[in-house]
Amino acid sequence: MTEPKTIDVSHLPPYDISNQAPLWWGQLLLAAIEGMMFCILIAAYLYVRLRYDVWPPPGDQFPHRLLPTLALIPLILSCIGTYWASEAAKKDDRAGMIKGLALNLVLAIVFFVIRLMDWYSLNFSYKADAFGTYLWAFLAVHTYDYVGDVIFTLVLFLLVVIGRHGPKVRLGVHVDSVVWYFLVIVWIPIYVAVYWGPTLMETQQ
Amino acid sequence: MTQTQDVLPNVPNQEQNISNLERTWRRGRGLIGWLSVTTHQAIGMRYIVTAFIMLCVGGIEALLMRIQLAKPNNTFLSADLYNQIFTTHGTTMMFLFAVPVMEGMAIYLVPLMCGTRNVAFPRLNAFGYWMFLGGVLFLYWGVFTGAAPDMGWFAYPPLSGPQFTPGKRTDVWAQMITFTEFSALCVATEIVVTILKMRAPGMSLNRIPLYVWSLLIQSFMVIFAMPAIVVASSFLLSDRTIGTHFVNPSEGGDPLLYQHIFWFFGHPEVYIIFIPALGFVSAIVSANARQHVFGYPAMVLSQIANGFIAFGLWVHHMFATGLPQIGEAFFTASSMMIAITSGVQIFCWIATLWTGRPRMTTALYFVYGFIAIFVLGGMTGVMLASVPLDLQVHDTYFVIAHFHYVLIGGAVFPLFGAFYHWFPKMTGRMMSERLGRWNFWVLFVGFNLTFFPMHILGLKGMPRRVYTYPPEVGWGFISQIATAGAFVIAIGGVMFLINVFRSRKSGAIAGNNPWDADSLEWATSSPPANYNFEYLPAATSRSPMWVPREERTFVTGLRTDRREVLVTTLMDAEPHHRYVLPGSSIWPFITAIAASITFVGSVFNPWYIISGSILIFVGLLGWFWPRRAAEIRDEA
Amino acid sequence: MNWVGRAAKLALLAALAAAVAFGATDVQSAVNPIGPQSGKIANLWWFFFWLLGAIYIVVMIAALWTLTRPNRGFGQEPLEHTHQLSPETDRRTSRVVAGATITTIVILFVLIVASVGTGKGLSELGEQKNSLTIQVMGIQWWWQVMYQTSDSSIAVTTANEIHIPVGRPVQLRLLSNDVIHSFWVPNLHGKTDLIPSRVNTQWIQADKPGVYRGQCAEFCGLQHAHMIIYVVAESPDKFKAWYDRQLQPAAAPSDPVMQRGQQVFMNNACVYCHQIRGTDAAGQNGPDLTHFGSRLGIAANTVPNTPGNLGGWIADPQSTKPGNHMATIALNSADMHPLINYLESLK
Repeated sequence: MTEPKTIDVSHLPPYDISNQAPLWWGQLLLAAIEGMMFCILIAAYLYVRLRYDVWPPPGDQFPHRLLPTLALIPLILSCIGTYWASEAAKKDDRAGMIKGLALNLVLAIVFFVIRLMDWYSLNFSYKADAFGTYLWAFLAVHTYDYVGDVIFTLVLFLLVVIGRHGPKVRLGVHVDSVVWYFLVIVWIPIYVAVYWGPTLMETQQ
Repeated sequence: MTQTQDVLPNVPNQEQNISNLERTWRRGRGLIGWLSVTTHQAIGMRYIVTAFIMLCVGGIEALLMRIQLAKPNNTFLSADLYNQIFTTHGTTMMFLFAVPVMEGMAIYLVPLMCGTRNVAFPRLNAFGYWMFLGGVLFLYWGVFTGAAPDMGWFAYPPLSGPQFTPGKRTDVWAQMITFTEFSALCVATEIVVTILKMRAPGMSLNRIPLYVWSLLIQSFMVIFAMPAIVVASSFLLSDRTIGTHFVNPSEGGDPLLYQHIFWFFGHPEVYIIFIPALGFVSAIVSANARQHVFGYPAMVLSQIANGFIAFGLWVHHMFATGLPQIGEAFFTASSMMIAITSGVQIFCWIATLWTGRPRMTTALYFVYGFIAIFVLGGMTGVMLASVPLDLQVHDTYFVIAHFHYVLIGGAVFPLFGAFYHWFPKMTGRMMSERLGRWNFWVLFVGFNLTFFPMHILGLKGMPRRVYTYPPEVGWGFISQIATAGAFVIAIGGVMFLINVFRSRKSGAIAGNNPWDADSLEWATSSPPANYNFEYLPAATSRSPMWVPREERTFVTGLRTDRREVLVTTLMDAEPHHRYVLPGSSIWPFITAIAASITFVGSVFNPWYIISGSILIFVGLLGWFWPRRAAEIRDEA
Repeated sequence: MNWVGRAAKLALLAALAAAVAFGATDVQSAVNPIGPQSGKIANLWWFFFWLLGAIYIVVMIAALWTLTRPNRGFGQEPLEHTHQLSPETDRRTSRVVAGATITTIVILFVLIVASVGTGKGLSELGEQKNSLTIQVMGIQWWWQVMYQTSDSSIAVTTANEIHIPVGRPVQLRLLSNDVIHSFWVPNLHGKTDLIPSRVNTQWIQADKPGVYRGQCAEFCGLQHAHMIIYVVAESPDKFKAWYDRQLQPAAAPSDPVMQRGQQVFMNNACVYCHQIRGTDAAGQNGPDLTHFGSRLGIAANTVPNTPGNLGGWIADPQSTKPGNHMATIALNSADMHPLINYLESLK
C-alpha cells in the first residue's frame, strides 16, 4: 500500500515578525472593534446635533483650537518613532528599537501634556447637556485608550532596554505599531468632531 | 499507545511523537490546573455546558410566565415579579444562552475542522470564557438579591433611565452586557484569525467547510455589531450613574437614538445567533445526504450577503416610532430582500437532500424540523417587514411567535441536531437514536403547540409584556394551549438531558467517524486528544475525509516538545511559518477577576474604572511577560 | 410516505385550531376592521397570508418529498463513491434552484409594492378636510385626552376614553409625559408610539358606531398591562350631544349627600391631582374628573365604572392596580358613600 504523502515544515521559521503573524491580525481586528465604536459615537453625535435648533446650546463655549491643533504635530511625528521601532524589531536591531520607542514615547508624552493643558480650558461639563456629554465622551474614551497604549509601549521599551528582546517582545513591538497608528488615525475625525464640529455645525444666526 | 488518527504517514519515532504530544499538551493538576486550561476543547465544552444551564434557567422563567398567563386575571405572579421574569428570560436567552452556545460550538469545532491544534489565541479564549461566566454570575446575583432587571431585555430609556427605574436593576443589566460582549468579541477575534491564518495546507478559500464559512462571517458580524451594544449600554449606564445626557430626554438626550444604536446591534445579533446554525445544517445535511451540499459558491455568497444585509435592517424594529415613510420603505425592501439569501440556502439544502440519499438520523430529523419551523418564521418575518402590517402586529404576541419560530426553529433545532451529530465526537459514544426520535417529536409538537397560537393572539390584540389580561378579550383559551405546549417543550428538554447522561455512560462506542462525514474533525479520535491530530492533515478537497486514504496528505516537521502549530497563507493556505502557542496559564483568569472588579465596582462607584484598570494592567503584565523558559529559540 | 401523512395531519389540526380560535371574539382584533385604516391593513394582511401560506406549503412539499427516496440505513458506504452529482443532474438541479430564487425575488418585489402602496393609502385620510383633532398624552399608566379647536386651544379635557363621530377623519396628536407608550386600537388602525419630547400623529376614522378597545403597546413599567383606552364611535348627533355636555362645567351637587361628597373631595388630597371644572379643584397630575360619571371605566379602564368598583379604588388604589401613582387616602365610610355618589353624578 502506498504511503500517505507528507509536507515537511521543519525548515519554516518558528515565528514571523511581520504582518503575517496571527497576533498582528488579532490586533488589527481589535483596532477595527474600537474604530467601530468611535464611528457609532460620531454618528450619535451628528444625530443629536440634528435634533437641536440652536447649536451649541446656549451657555456652552466653543472649545479653543490652538492647543489641540498644535498637539497634532507631536502626535503625527510620533508615528515615525513607531515605524522605526517596528522595522527594527523585524531585524532584531536593539539600538533601533530603543531609538524608535524612545522617540515615540517622548512625543506621545508631549502630546498628552498639551492635551491636559487644553482640558483645563474647556468650559462645559459633561453633566450640563448633550453637547458637553458627547464632547467629553470622545475625549475620555480616546484618552483612556491612549494612556493604555503609552503604558504598554513604555513596558516594551523597558523590556528591550534590560535586554529581554526575544521574539515575543519584538513581535510585541511590531504589533504595538498597529495600535499606535490606529490611535493617531482615529484621533483625526474625533479632533474634527470635537474642535471643529461646533463651528461647522453651528446654527447660522 | 493507541493512535488518534486512523491513517498516518510512515514517519520514524511515532510512539515517541505521541508521548511527547501527550506531555506537551497535558492539562495542569488540581484547581490551579483547571483554572489555567487553554485548550480549545475544554473551553468550548465549558461554554456549551454553561450556556445549556442558562437555557434551562431561561426555560424555567418561561414556564413561570406561561403559568401566570394561562388564565385571565391570574395572581400567580405579581406585576413586578412578572416584569423581572420576562426581562430576565429574554436577557438570559439572548445574551447568556444563544450567542455563547454558538461560540462554544465554534471554539470546539473550528480548530478541528481547520486541521489545527488550538485557536490562534488560547489565553484570550480562556479569558473570554471567564468573562462570560462573570456575566452569568453578575446577572443572577442581581436576580437573587432583588435587583433583577425589569424594563425589558432591550431596556428602552426613559423607562430604563434614572428617573423611572431607580436602584441597581438596570445597572446590573447594562454591565452584564459589558461582560458578555467582551467575551463575544474575544471569541470573534480569535476565530477569524484561526480561520484565516491556521487552516490546513491546501484548504484554500474555496475548500473551507460551510460551517467554518458561517463562523467566519458571523465573527466579522460580531466585530462590527457588538460595539454598538457596548455604546448603547454604556450610554444608559453613564446617564444613570454619573449624570450624562446621552439618551435622557431632559437636556437634549434622545430616547430614539438609543433605539437606533441598540437595534443596529440587535438585528445583526439575531443573525449572529442564526448564521452558525446554518453552518450546522450544512454539515449535518452533507453527512446524512452522503454528498456535498449543492451549490457551494451560492451557499457562501448567500451567507456573506446575509451578513452584510443584516446590518441594513434595524429600523424595522422601529416602524411605530413615527419615522418618515420614505426611510421606512427602504427598510421594508431590505428586510424582505434578506429572505432571498436565506431562501437560496434552503433551496440548496433541499436540492442536496433530493439528489442525495438521506439517512434519517436524529440530527437529520432536526434539520427537517428546522426547515418546517424556520421557513414559517421567515414568512411571518416578511409580513413584519411590511410597515402597515407591522403597525398592527408590532409589540404583540404575533412578534413573539415570529421570533421564536426563527430563533428556535432557525437556531435551536439545528443546535439540537448538532448535539446529536457531534456528541459522538465530543464524548466517544453514540446517543440513543430511538430516544432521539422521540425527543425530536416531543420538541416539535410542543414548540408548535406553544407558539403557533400566539400568531392568533397577536392578531386578536394581545400586546407583549402584559402580566395579565381580563376575561372579556377572549385570550384565555389560546393562552391555555400555549401554556400546555410550554410544558411539552420542557418534557422534551428533560428527554434530551436523559439521553445525554445515559449515552455518556453506556452509549455505543463511536469510533473516529461513525457518520462517514466529510470534514476533518472526523479524522481523529472521539473524543480528540488535547492536541487534536498527531500529524496535522492537509486538505486536498472540499471534503477531505471523502478522499481515498492513499491520497491523503499530512504535515510533518512540527516540534512536539512545545505547542507548535502551522500558520498558512490567507488565500491558498500554503505553509508560511510555525507558530508556538502558549501552554496553560493562570493569567487569563486573574485578568478576568480584575476586569470583573472593574465592571462590577463601577456600577456602584465610577472611580472603579480607574482602580480596576490598574488591576487589569497587572493581569496583562503577567499575561504577556516574556519568561525565559518560554523563549523561542531558533533551531541550529 | 409515513412522514408526509403525519405532517399533513398535524397541519390540518393546526389549521382547525386556528379557525376555531380566530372565530372566538372580535374585541380588539386587527382582523375585524371598522374603519378605512384598519380595513386597508386587513386587506393587505389577507393578501400576504394567502400568498405566503401557499409558498410555505410548496416549500414544505418539496422538503418532505426528499424523504420519499429509499432509506439507506446505517451501514457505512465504501469510499469508491465520489459523493458527487453527475453533470446532467447538477445542471438540472441548478436550473430548479435558480428558478426558485427568481420566483422568490419576483414575489418579494410584488409584496414590497403592495406594502408601500398600502402605506401610501394610509396617508390619504390625512388629506381630507373636515377632521377633528384630539391630543392624547400617555402618562404612567393612563391616557389624557384633549380635544383641540381649530385655533389649537383645548376645549375638552377627559381621560381614558375618546368619543368620535362616525365617518369623520380624526387626527390624533400623540405625546408622552414620561416614558415611551404606544397608542393602539386595532379595530381602527395600527399603533403609533408616544415618545417624550416628540409629537407623533395618527389618523383614524370609524365607519360603524361601537365601543372599540385599545391598550398601550409599548412596555411602560409596572402597570403597562392596565393602560386601556376606549374609542367610542357614535353618530354625529350623539357625538355633538356628548361634546356639548363635555364643554359644560361639572354639574352642581343636587342633594345633600352629593354636597357632602363634594365637600369630602375638596377637603382631602384629591384636589392636588384632580381637576373638576367649575369647582376649586384644579390639580393637573391625574385624570380630569369633570365628567367622570359618564365614563366607562376607572383607572384607565382596569375595572368598569360602578359605584362598588369606585369605592374599592378610592379606598385602596394599590389593590386594584399595584404600583400606580394615586395616593391612598384614608376615608371612613361616612365620607366614602357621599363621595362616590358625588363623583358618579358628574355625568
